[in-house]
Amino acid sequence: MLTTRRLLDTFKQIGISHAVGLPDNSTAALFHALADDPDIYLITVTREGEAFATAAGLWLGGQKPLVVIQNTGLLEAGDALRGTLIRMRLPVVCLVSYRGYKSLAARANSPLTPDELSRRDIDSVAALLEPTLRAWTLPYELVSDNADAEKIIAAQQRAHEQNFPQVIIIAETIH
Amino acid sequence: MLTQAQFLEPLARHRTDQIVISAMSLVRAWGRLSKHELDFAFTDSAMGHAQSLALGLALAQPQRRVICLNGDGSMLMSLGALVTIAQCRARNLILFVAQNNTYEVTGNQTTPGAGAVEFHQIAFACGFPEAFHFSDAREYERALDKILYLQGPVLVAVRLEPGAEPPPNRKQTEDTPYLRGSLADAAHRLKAALSNEQ
Repeated sequence: MLTTRRLLDTFKQIGISHAVGLPDNSTAALFHALADDPDIYLITVTREGEAFATAAGLWLGGQKPLVVIQNTGLLEAGDALRGTLIRMRLPVVCLVSYRGYKSLAARANSPLTPDELSRRDIDSVAALLEPTLRAWTLPYELVSDNADAEKIIAAQQRAHEQNFPQVIIIAETIH
Repeated sequence: MLTQAQFLEPLARHRTDQIVISAMSLVRAWGRLSKHELDFAFTDSAMGHAQSLALGLALAQPQRRVICLNGDGSMLMSLGALVTIAQCRARNLILFVAQNNTYEVTGNQTTPGAGAVEFHQIAFACGFPEAFHFSDAREYERALDKILYLQGPVLVAVRLEPGAEPPPNRKQTEDTPYLRGSLADAAHRLKAALSNEQ
């Protein structure tokens, strides 16, 4: 199980000052917890592209932001991500929830096909997430349990070493 | 209606230690007037996100004022950001919208709603405490000194004549120094400058 308590403890351990993003069903509990947390400033945006640009400004101003969005929003905000965190080489960790992750069990482990993107039993945004991250050269790790929280700490460290954003994919609903 | 010079030259004269984020057709024009280390050319603004970058800076640096020089085409790409800025109560953010009703750097194609969109009214409706619009150069210059020190967020829409700026590019031969070097170099220089001043 992945809990808000473990995530908030981890964010504080790595010094996160601001969380910027948009909630979905699997991150709803995290957004409620962030809204009540006195140590991390929550900025809820109207579109995901805003999240990347706002996080970039926060980092340039000396803060340590985290982006929290759904995979649908990542695709919507592709150019904002390219034009800010990637192009500016900013060490920001982005949590991306994996809508449709379980539906991927219905497809073979082979290159994606046009037919699969319109199948009713496969969520196309799930099928496109990891290929998109690889195309954008964005390092990523899957997190689905409290025991995986160490991956967030490692991602922040890598972001700092590489001066480059890192993605943590949230593959389970946060409780 | 103002010329680009009537818009930017008074601002350059009144500017002191504010961070200035410029985008698209305003990048070179501002760079010709200012060589300040807190100028940042957000060249293509990642398609309409200059005001959100400025919001992040304003929240991170509450003791310092942040000026964003945006175009109307860019602003139209992310109007929702006005709601976010108002919600965050970024009191130190001043957002200028240069309203020439065209996509200038691609050859002055007409923007949607050209001539009809009232950005200051949109800002008020989103919750901005202060918003202005100007189409007269003397009125604008008279009001500018006061506007720069209001408790914001503030939006200032300025009606401009269409210009002929080409797309802003980053290259070593640019005559405006802040366009030399990569966006990453410029970003990390701005962060270093802000760190040194604290």
